[in-house]
Amino acid sequence: MIKRLLAATSVVTLCLVSGASAAEKVEMWVRSGIGESFKKVVEAYNSSHENQVAMTEVPFSELVQKYATAIAGGQAPDALSMDLIYNPAFAAAGQLEDLTDWAKSLPYFNALSPSHVKLGTYEDRIYGLPLSVETSVFAWNKDLYKKAGLDPEKAPTTWDEITANAEKIRALGDDTYGFYFSGGGCGGCMIFTFTPLVWGSGADILSADSKTATLDTPEMRKAIDIYRNMVKKDLVPAGAASDNGANFLTFTNGKIGQQSLGAFAIGSLVTEHPDINFGVTLIPGATGGTSSFAGGDNFVITKGTPKMDAVKEFLQYIYSEDGQKVMAKYGSLPTRGDIADKVLEGLDPRLQVGIQAIAVAKTPYTLQFNDLINSANGPWASFTNAAIFGDDVDAAFSNAQGEMQSIIDSGQ
Amino acid sequence: MTGSGSETPSPRRKRRRRSGWRGLVYIAPAMALVILFFVMPVIFTGWMSLHNWPLMGGTRWIGFKNYVRMFNDARFLSALQFTAYYTVIVTIAIFAVAFPLAIFVEKQRRFVSAYRTIIFLPVVVGLATASLLWVWLSNVDSGFIGPALKALGWVDKSPNLLATFDSAFLTIIIMVVWKIAGFTMIILLTGLQAIPSELTEAACIDGAGRWQRFRHLTLPLMRKTIALALIISVTGSILAFDQFYIMTSGGPQNRMISVVYYIFNQSFVSFNLGYGAALSIALLAILVAISIVQLWLLRVGEERP
Repeated sequence: MIKRLLAATSVVTLCLVSGASAAEKVEMWVRSGIGESFKKVVEAYNSSHENQVAMTEVPFSELVQKYATAIAGGQAPDALSMDLIYNPAFAAAGQLEDLTDWAKSLPYFNALSPSHVKLGTYEDRIYGLPLSVETSVFAWNKDLYKKAGLDPEKAPTTWDEITANAEKIRALGDDTYGFYFSGGGCGGCMIFTFTPLVWGSGADILSADSKTATLDTPEMRKAIDIYRNMVKKDLVPAGAASDNGANFLTFTNGKIGQQSLGAFAIGSLVTEHPDINFGVTLIPGATGGTSSFAGGDNFVITKGTPKMDAVKEFLQYIYSEDGQKVMAKYGSLPTRGDIADKVLEGLDPRLQVGIQAIAVAKTPYTLQFNDLINSANGPWASFTNAAIFGDDVDAAFSNAQGEMQSIIDSGQ
Repeated sequence: MTGSGSETPSPRRKRRRRSGWRGLVYIAPAMALVILFFVMPVIFTGWMSLHNWPLMGGTRWIGFKNYVRMFNDARFLSALQFTAYYTVIVTIAIFAVAFPLAIFVEKQRRFVSAYRTIIFLPVVVGLATASLLWVWLSNVDSGFIGPALKALGWVDKSPNLLATFDSAFLTIIIMVVWKIAGFTMIILLTGLQAIPSELTEAACIDGAGRWQRFRHLTLPLMRKTIALALIISVTGSILAFDQFYIMTSGGPQNRMISVVYYIFNQSFVSFNLGYGAALSIALLAILVAISIVQLWLLRVGEERP
């Protein structure tokens, strides 16, 4: 019996080995919550190429530790769609393949999204290239605006206006709410949708050299006030207080009047929820101005992968016009500036707002992004929850300010 | 063991030595497993704890700095405090539920095995699965508890149970009691059934009341069983992780970070494996100390009085 089993497994292994020599199978991980764009481009690639890409989706809040432990255990995938803010930390740890020479040989290298390339660069070598680009924008549900007697075509430009509109929409009924955000300790969601209020007003949560936490500013106080006020007036569903990001796309249920979300979500809304009639505009600052978070993913390759050529072929397909079109259709803004207009031709005009947002958008560059911001137990995540839903706003400010500073100091 | 002076051991002694070897052979497999899967990992963890050991990149010897850091780490101390609080509350809650249940299912009555099965059922559900189930039950919009309260008209608005510390903590305690009490009940039940019925009858004849029999007969005879159940419950509670990770992601404003959760965060979120190892060793020391104290308090090693 055991002999037979052994024979069977060796035959299977032989098949696998011989199969691999004919066409490579690239293992690739991607984080959840970036919409369908990557999934679709993988499908398109697999159906038109001999080499295949096997994609594994990993929850976005766990991707970093999963990848790091996989590297440590020698089980890492060949390539990864990595939230670009983590790129510096992994490049600094020496775990990524150096792509400098190959990247510079690409004819369109200079047209690739510059902020992505900047975050993919560590000590003048390039370790990550842009895969998907998204910016945060403000969306409103036109049908609910109409029902509430508001002008559905007029985008709100201040938070006073947004609050007033939210009250009218809330008045429509029991389960209709004016506003939504994932406030249950989702640092990633809040840095994406909430900090633009502060950035738009000219303040920031970290100093320019990322060595000082500058959380307690009048602009942040004002922004917190705006959200607190909406929660107090019952304009936000109670579930927001414990939503750790799992229900980030609550807007898609059609019962939320307004929400800040990302360009990926625009893609999902257009392709999967065509019944939701919504408008998109830039996120207003708390005291004027507009801003956005320029996020998205970089394509990184694990150091020492044997399938380098296949991975490069796949990346070149993504950068081709076909690949870019597929990505854009599902909400990822074009990563190649030189063919952006051609790619967006005939696509939903609301994606243009996502492109406009790039001009006012920011991305923090810090090696400690996970500890400070994204970790569900980090100071930023607990600050947003405590300050917006808690009883003691001052304590929330002083705790988070102190904890952020101590994390920054211990990392130096 | 034996003195090396005697040159010609008596046959009897020889036999004893041989049987000593045979005994060693018998326990060898168990010892091998313990050494391979417990002693060696602990030694390795201790070795790691003396280093600055990031998940990626090189390691550096730093001596006892990780242990020094621990005493100034406010987040670790608050994790310890929360774990102690949780352990005390949940252990009392489990015993308060499991003891009456054990007494209830011990007597022969109709459907007793059905009762036992029903009470034991949640135990066979995995803790992670149970946590996910309760996340759904306590969901504010699409769950069961909140909407049910609203439908009954007890509250105006479905409450978000996991949003504030008190209600989230209460939910987790109820979930854990529901999940664990059946197991503790079975342990206590075996202790109850081991009490000879002659003793109970004799006590009855002597005129002891129900409470007197419980206090002076049942409790003393169940000392070892209670010690076992207590140690399992306390150890399990100190090592609690799944329910906080899954149900509240560390709770409203990080107020539900247990020690194991903090070790996990340090090791695999902040990538300080060395510090995580030092914390694990500290936790091991705490667990050993608590178990020794419990065994001593309940005098498990001694013979019956």
